[in-house]
Amino acid sequence: MSGRRIVITSGKGGVGKTTTTVNVGAALAKRGHKVVLVDTDIGLRNLDLVLGVEKRIVFDLVEVVEGRCQLRQALIKDKRFESLSMLPAAQTREKEAVSEAQMSAVIDELAEMADFVLIDCPAGIEHGFRSAIAGAKEAIVVTTPEVSAIRDADRVVGKLTAAKIPFRLIVNRVRPEMVKSGDMMSVDDVCEILASELLGAVPDDEEIIDTTNRGEPIVLDETNKLAIVYDKIARRLEGELVPFTTFDTPNFLSRMLTIFKAG
Amino acid sequence: MEARVQREPARATAPPRGRAIVITSGKGGVGKTTTTANVGTALAALGHKVVLVDADVGLRNLDIVLGLESRVKFHLLDVLEEKATLDEALVRDKRSENLSLLAAAQTREKEDVVTAHMVALIERLRERFEYVLIDCPAGIEMGFKNAIAGANHAIVVCTPEVSAVRDADRVVGLLPNDWRPELIINRLRPLLVKKGKMLSVDDVNGILRLPLLGVIADEPGVIVATNRGEPLALDAASETGAAYRAIAAKLAGADIAAPSVRVPSTGFFSKLGSLFGGRG
Repeated sequence: MSGRRIVITSGKGGVGKTTTTVNVGAALAKRGHKVVLVDTDIGLRNLDLVLGVEKRIVFDLVEVVEGRCQLRQALIKDKRFESLSMLPAAQTREKEAVSEAQMSAVIDELAEMADFVLIDCPAGIEHGFRSAIAGAKEAIVVTTPEVSAIRDADRVVGKLTAAKIPFRLIVNRVRPEMVKSGDMMSVDDVCEILASELLGAVPDDEEIIDTTNRGEPIVLDETNKLAIVYDKIARRLEGELVPFTTFDTPNFLSRMLTIFKAG
Repeated sequence: MEARVQREPARATAPPRGRAIVITSGKGGVGKTTTTANVGTALAALGHKVVLVDADVGLRNLDIVLGLESRVKFHLLDVLEEKATLDEALVRDKRSENLSLLAAAQTREKEDVVTAHMVALIERLRERFEYVLIDCPAGIEMGFKNAIAGANHAIVVCTPEVSAVRDADRVVGLLPNDWRPELIINRLRPLLVKKGKMLSVDDVNGILRLPLLGVIADEPGVIVATNRGEPLALDAASETGAAYRAIAAKLAGADIAAPSVRVPSTGFFSKLGSLFGGRG
């Protein structure tokens, strides 16, 4: 078995890398795949919180690399999705504690036991970024429709291209009403600026703040609109051609409603 | 506070030295750059001489938030490497002559900055400006270390989210022991707090226990202002702008009461409390 190794990166922090990693991972696990999530944000780990497993951490990535424990001992199994597990980052160490070669070796070993290894990259383009992409064969670039996030994503796209890592884009926290009023860039605009292929567009939803604080992936609630979006992203990763829902312009239903209200 | 005064005895002959304040957070995307731009703009509007330093080498954004990106000709590394003078590299704000920007290099790496050179540069800026606001990159790697090296005070920006609070707590632990960093809680949504779906100001500061400098509510206007390069601090009609102006006044020494955006605690505290075993 040799699973796919996908790094989730962005350049800018706070655009939703960790939330994306958890929810895409949970959506893939729900579809029956064996998935391992790796937190590479040594010193500032958060993937454990978003997944709600922070109290169950015994060993971490640095201890694996330093040979203090077996890789399997450090993996935490999710209790809701049995094919989902995660490898936590160390909280009190520095990013330099893991070299690019060491990270690559850990990711290779994980790929032997999983269908998908999703690597949650730290913000920035320093050592932490370089080691996070070292073991990856593909990338998901997460950005929001903001000038600053797009400029940072553009830097990361350049670095991924130089490293010959193919990537697709997730445009996160889209607010359709702001796009409509001309106060926010559309998903198409963002893809065009970054000359990138779209993997998914995720609307802004205040519910995500609450589920993150509670450590419950939003895909647990099948009726949630974001759960549907993440499931589509998972299917696109599998290779299925899933049509994109356009919420940049008023869709048919909302147009109909407007027409009827007006009448 | 006393500690800082002791460290820097006043020199009778030297001109008054400005304060070098780093704006930091650990977690990215919580609003460091927006805070730097708005607090700096508001301080300048109060008549203070202010310089904003973008320390995010390779991923600069402060120029965009200020709407000055087309005027940047030289950057921080050009000055450090003596390819440009400080005067050539400083970009004067188009709205206020009290405000200047020193941009970061976009196509260089954070590792290119020599810490001692950064410290010397901030010292030079303190001779010329009353406030040197340093916009720190996300994370706690080399870029963070260089950004805090020349500063003598810190503003920690945090959003009411468990992950942001954990990262902020980590950063406070990495700042020098004799600093007393002040806290800005950003992107609070009072309605969500009331519904019990967001941490309250008390929840956040129950963990961080820092002097509260201000609370900024979440509003879509901030995204619009960023995309347009027009800081809200200049918008007389904006509540967020007023909050930034109050923060600037407080920083400049005005006696302003604690922020009024206070909502009841939500019970998240128990979850949070178990995550923080102290800073060490």
